Amino acid sequence: MGHGKYIAPPAGQYQVQAGEVLNLQFVVLPGESRDIDVSIDLIGPGAEAHIKALYLCGADEKVNFHILMHHRAPGCHSTQTIKGIAGGTAQVQFHGIIVVAPDAQQTEAYQENHNIVLTDQARVETRPQLEIYADDVKCSHGATVGQLNEDELFYMRSRGIPEKEAKTLQMLSFLSPVIPEGRAEEIESAVRSL
Amino acid sequence: MFLEINNLHARIGDKEILKGIDLTIGPGEVHAVMGPNGAGKSTLAAVLTGKPGYEVTEGSILFQGRDLLAMTPEERAWAGLFLSFQYPIEIPGVTITAFMKAAVNAKRKAHGLPEFKTGDFLKLMKEKMALVQMKPEFAKREVNVGFSGGEKKRNEIFQMALLEPELSILDETDSGLDVDALKIVADGVNTLRSPERSAIIITHYHKLLEYVQPDVVHVLKDGRLVKTGGRELIDAIEARGFDQF
Repeated sequence: MGHGKYIAPPAGQYQVQAGEVLNLQFVVLPGESRDIDVSIDLIGPGAEAHIKALYLCGADEKVNFHILMHHRAPGCHSTQTIKGIAGGTAQVQFHGIIVVAPDAQQTEAYQENHNIVLTDQARVETRPQLEIYADDVKCSHGATVGQLNEDELFYMRSRGIPEKEAKTLQMLSFLSPVIPEGRAEEIESAVRSL
Repeated sequence: MFLEINNLHARIGDKEILKGIDLTIGPGEVHAVMGPNGAGKSTLAAVLTGKPGYEVTEGSILFQGRDLLAMTPEERAWAGLFLSFQYPIEIPGVTITAFMKAAVNAKRKAHGLPEFKTGDFLKLMKEKMALVQMKPEFAKREVNVGFSGGEKKRNEIFQMALLEPELSILDETDSGLDVDALKIVADGVNTLRSPERSAIIITHYHKLLEYVQPDVVHVLKDGRLVKTGGRELIDAIEARGFDQF
C-alpha cells in the first residue's frame, strides 16, 4: 500500500471474465523441487479466483511460489490459501502479490500463507505484498512461519498418543483446509514420510 | 507400593521448584495436595507426567515398581497415569472422537489388545460422555476449541473416564467451575474410585474436596510437603490459610 503510480503488470496466464470462477489447486509432495508461477487477471466485473496450495518437502528440495493476483475490474473476489511443511534442509519461498487497479472498486482479496518448519536447517521465506490503487476494497493477508506446537504435542502424548502419531495428527490438522477432496490418504502417507 | 516419590528435586531452567518431595500413595487411595500459588503443585503434576522443560536433579519416582522418570509421557499414559490439565490445550482441526480414538487404541495396542472397532468405540464414548453430562454433539467438536472453562474441565474428566487410569492427577480441576459443574466433575471422579485406582487432587481450595473425600491431605509449600494429615487439615486451611504451616 502507499505505492506511487499504477503500472499494470503484463497479462497473466489466466484471464477470468465477468461472472466466471477460476479454482486452482496445487499439491507439491516430497521428492520433487517445484516452481509454481501463477498470474491471474480478473478482467470482468464480478470475476472470482480461488487458489489453494499445499506443499510438503524434505531433503534438499526447493519449492518456490510466485503468485500475482491482479484485480482489474470492479466487484471481483479472490482468495488464496497456501500452507505447507518443510523438513530436512528444504528451502521454500513464497512471494504473493495482490494488485488492485484504480478501477477495481468493491474488490475483495484475501491471502494466507502459513508454514511449519520441522528442522533447524529448513528455510522458509514468505513475502506477501499488497498494491492497492482503489479506495473501496477489502483486502487482507497473513503470513506465518512456525514450528509444531509443543503444548499440543504434550497434551496428546499425555493421553497415550505416541509422539510420531501426535506430530502427524497436528500436521494433518494444520493442512486440512488445503487437502484436496479424495487425496487425504495420499497426503497422510506423505506427511508420515517427512 | 503403588506410587513412591523419594526426595524429588526438580527445576525449570536454573530455578529449583521442588526441593525434596517424599510421597507414598497406596492403591485405591485419594490424596489431596494443597498449597498456595507458586508452591510447586503444577510442577509436581508436570514432573509426574513427563512434561518437557522440567529437569529432575535428584530423587526417584516408582510407579507400580517401574521407574517413571525413565518413561516417555505416552509410556506413562499406557502404564495408567492420567493428568487432568489445569489449562486444557486446544487442538484445532482434531475432533474429540479422532483424538480419543487414537489415545484409547494406542493404549490398547501397548497392552497387546486389539484396537476398538469404530462402532464399539463410539458406543463407549457416548456412555462416558453421558457420565459427565457432555452433549453428544461435542464428539464432533475440535478438542477444546471454543469451549468454556467448565466445558474444558468436563472434557478432561470425560477423557479420564474413557481411559480408566490407575492413577489420576487432577491439577486445579476445580478452578473456574460453578457448583453444578463441580458436582459433575466430582461425580466423575467418585465413579472411578475403586480399590485399584488412586488419585492425586491438586488444589489450593477446599471446594472439590467437599464432594470427593480424600484419604490423606498434604500441604505443599515452597517445594516441600510441610504437613500431612487427614480432613482436619482442610478445615484448618479454610480457617487460617497456608501461613500457619
